[in-house]
Amino acid sequence: MISSGLPIRLTGLLTVGLLLAGLSVHAQRRQVSADSTAPRSSARRMRQPLPENHPRAIQPGVRRPGIYFPQAPIPGRWRYSIGAVFTTTPPELTEEIRVSVPAIDFNLQRGISKHWFINSRIQTQIVQSNVGIGVRYAAPITDRLFVSAGDDMHVWFGALQIKDVFDSQAHGMQNFPNVSVGYRFTRDIQATIKGEAIIDAYYKSQVGNLSIERNAIRYNGLAVTFAVEQPLYDKKHVTLGFRAAYSSFNWQLWSLYDTFDRNLFYPQLIFGFIL
Amino acid sequence: MTRYLLLFGLLIAALTGCRKEYDAPVPYTFSAATGAGRFSTSVRQAINGVYTVTDGSDVFGPQVVLKWTYIRNGADTSHHLSVYTSNVGYFDMEPQQQLNGLGVSGYWRRLQNTEIGLVQLTVNVRRNGVVSPFSGSLATGDTLVISGAYGNDGVLPSKKLTMTYTRPLNSRSFSILAHRAGGRTSDLLPASENSLEIIKMASRLGATGIEVDVRYTKDGIPILYHDNTLNLRLIQKNGLAGAIESYTYQQLATFVRLVNGEKIPTLEEALETVVNNTDLSFVWLDTKYVRSMTQVQSIQRTYMQRAKAAGRSLQIVIGLPSDEAVSLYRDLPEKADTPVLCELDTSIARSINANIWAPRWTLGDQSAEVDVMKAEGRSVFVWTLDEPQFIQEFIDRTRFDGILSNYPCVVAYYHYIQQ
Repeated sequence: MISSGLPIRLTGLLTVGLLLAGLSVHAQRRQVSADSTAPRSSARRMRQPLPENHPRAIQPGVRRPGIYFPQAPIPGRWRYSIGAVFTTTPPELTEEIRVSVPAIDFNLQRGISKHWFINSRIQTQIVQSNVGIGVRYAAPITDRLFVSAGDDMHVWFGALQIKDVFDSQAHGMQNFPNVSVGYRFTRDIQATIKGEAIIDAYYKSQVGNLSIERNAIRYNGLAVTFAVEQPLYDKKHVTLGFRAAYSSFNWQLWSLYDTFDRNLFYPQLIFGFIL
Repeated sequence: MTRYLLLFGLLIAALTGCRKEYDAPVPYTFSAATGAGRFSTSVRQAINGVYTVTDGSDVFGPQVVLKWTYIRNGADTSHHLSVYTSNVGYFDMEPQQQLNGLGVSGYWRRLQNTEIGLVQLTVNVRRNGVVSPFSGSLATGDTLVISGAYGNDGVLPSKKLTMTYTRPLNSRSFSILAHRAGGRTSDLLPASENSLEIIKMASRLGATGIEVDVRYTKDGIPILYHDNTLNLRLIQKNGLAGAIESYTYQQLATFVRLVNGEKIPTLEEALETVVNNTDLSFVWLDTKYVRSMTQVQSIQRTYMQRAKAAGRSLQIVIGLPSDEAVSLYRDLPEKADTPVLCELDTSIARSINANIWAPRWTLGDQSAEVDVMKAEGRSVFVWTLDEPQFIQEFIDRTRFDGILSNYPCVVAYYHYIQQ
């Protein structure tokens, strides 16, 4: 897909998604309000507990399907999602052409205790892939507000063999220390803000018989992700997110051999089905 | 809920809208003075060389290359001293005519980011362990020591910089070609890509030749411009958009300015500048058009003849990056005295008897093909190679005759330090 001004388009898409989510909540609220005996506004003003069937009422300790939301899965249970990530190339690299590069995105999590869980992720575009694994500690602050902190280590690799264009391959390692803050608006809608530092740990590239290697650990940039997780249909939940990465290197664009020592903007649109 | 969603929307809009615009304004104003002042030809030749950096090595690396270049303007000549560093940096300095000794001043820049600053240096000689101002003659055992100070941004230079002569420059012939006549707009150079101003600057950036992008205007004037369309990556905001081929040259000359304020040059103006103002020895005319090549061929011939008449060794080649461009070349009624550079595979380069074969650098060393093409009398270049470590690999471990790069200063550094 080639388009111009894609960050605006991404924002637009996400806004439409959020509006749809909002409409869905609104419809749900209307349906429940008909049965509800307590008017929402006065209940909030009085800070009284919400009735159990109120759309914003939540049951403490209950886990809802989510990948980004900072709450550990039940110990011993798996949680996974499959979807796609669309990364838009910065104009400094692709100049007048703006390319949105889709990647298959698979997330897998497993609870190891009440607060600790393992997080792993695979992103692939067939000719280049990224596999990551990490551990996180998540804890509730209130019934609605949750936080987590963790560290993920990713390995990426790519190979391109195209006549007259590429005889190249590269791989590398990156580390992503991260913190997340999640807020559960209703029993079904939860939103997360995640911040990550991006640290380059290793890089090797080969063209023909020539190769270069860098193994100095260096700060590469940072990323902020906003993700909303909610039901879509038939109790199936989805993740809709936007990630803004400001970094000097992005593994998906290794084949462009970017040499800028300054952070570029890599917007990403994230969509995932939580299975 | 709606207000939360609105808040999210605003946060996302803020994130996408807060994109940083990078800039690296040059903090030094060059004088209009011509000549080399006290830097006679022999002094300039003595200064050219590889130097060890002591003070300042944390910023500029342990070793640098110093080289004089010049720009002609009619009968006048302006001389500049350049420094090329291992970390993608260059200095551009001019003689300080008002000093009693030998002094230069100017600015330094790292091309990968926005680091820039002022620099002031004097030329000294170390004789029997004593450092004194260089008077212009070197005795056996003398060593040149160029020292002074540098600063960051517009701050007056105060950090110590000392460079000591180590050895002469590598004299092996090698083509250091500047992409888009010097570098991309995104490299934040003081002149726009594909402009007359950057052509004049190319040799100061380390280049011995340039590559430029040739397109046609609506009324059939060949011009230098890279992209398909008028866009804010390359030009200042003016309300015009769309394919550049939709505009006449007069419209472009009147209403369009490149990002640093220059006019879009015609191909003839560009070659006129190369011949009259520079010492560049190679021009690569990249074919970005799909129409008859006859006019470009005619201009190519005219300026090669003018260069020859001026006693210049200048090669102007038409670059053929695609099958369409090769077809345009094949369609030329007469191909004698039309040097071409073929970016496609060796069989096509051979079939059109291209003077130069230029594969992409991402194909690697291609040693066997390079040897065969060179044995057939063709030169072999790679493009567009910017990764500094790979530049070093290509220079040290392959037999290519030249490298096209947005960082000619890096190519110059690794070429000239070769022993």
